[in-house]
Amino acid sequence: MPPMDGIDREILNRIQSNFPVTPRPYLSIADDLGLSENDVLKRVIRLKNERIIRRIGGNFVPDKLGFVSTLCAARVPEDKIEEFAGEVNRYPGVTHNYRRDNEFNVWFTFIAPSMEEILENLEKISQKTGITDIINLPATDVFKIKAHFDL
Amino acid sequence: MLTKLEKKILASIQGDIPITERPYLEIAEQLGISEDTFLKNLKDLCDRGVIRRFGATIRHQKSGFKANAMVAWKVDEKRIIEVGKKMASFREVSHCYRRNPNGDWPYNLYTMIHARDEEACRKTARKISEAASVNTYLLLFSREELKKTSMQYFPHED
Repeated sequence: MPPMDGIDREILNRIQSNFPVTPRPYLSIADDLGLSENDVLKRVIRLKNERIIRRIGGNFVPDKLGFVSTLCAARVPEDKIEEFAGEVNRYPGVTHNYRRDNEFNVWFTFIAPSMEEILENLEKISQKTGITDIINLPATDVFKIKAHFDL
Repeated sequence: MLTKLEKKILASIQGDIPITERPYLEIAEQLGISEDTFLKNLKDLCDRGVIRRFGATIRHQKSGFKANAMVAWKVDEKRIIEVGKKMASFREVSHCYRRNPNGDWPYNLYTMIHARDEEACRKTARKISEAASVNTYLLLFSREELKKTSMQYFPHED
């Protein structure tokens, strides 16, 4: 892990949610933390270059944008995982895909304008890859979505 | 309902915003609107909850939370709201969703657990299991990231 000091951590804790919506956001952060704008900016650029920060931007609620999302799990023979993942990952609505150690070993999220579209795409994926054991697990209640890590 | 301008604004912040002194001015100029209009709309989208979170996403593998496990729980449907809330209250849990069981897959509650290493994930799962009195569960460790991106919601807006 690249070196991070206490000030880096303070900045990361400050900018994970409620990134300032002000003309000079890095000045706002600097004022909050008692630093200079230039120092904050340089550190954030470094943390991005060191890939500690994945991205800075907006995270949306799919259904408020007229989209639906689901979690899917597939049972795929080991030697077909690469081909299957390649086919699944072609869909822009597949945002996360992980190999996990279970008989259902490929787990991916799927976002689309409607559940019908997702089901059609799953059908197409099955036809193309021969993998028919795919379960569709749309969320029916959301108890927590947190993407803030106290550092 | 979202206006055309709102969709354009959402599209402009769904990737990376520039890391510069005046990032919003840069984006506003690209969209052909004033910085002030951009900021007002952005703030409004945050306030309305269309934007769930605006800020930096950290690679947690690099920030000390090296291991994560998806834990699938089999919960009595009569208790599921209470159990979901209880599990959500743990700081190690980042996501907690209820999902309907499907075919021969009986699990109906899903949590993401983050911890230092796999053993710590297992320990956390045991702790949650005892606290919520749910004994049937599976830890699904990720063995390989096959894809991780952000959704491009409005790719044709400009």
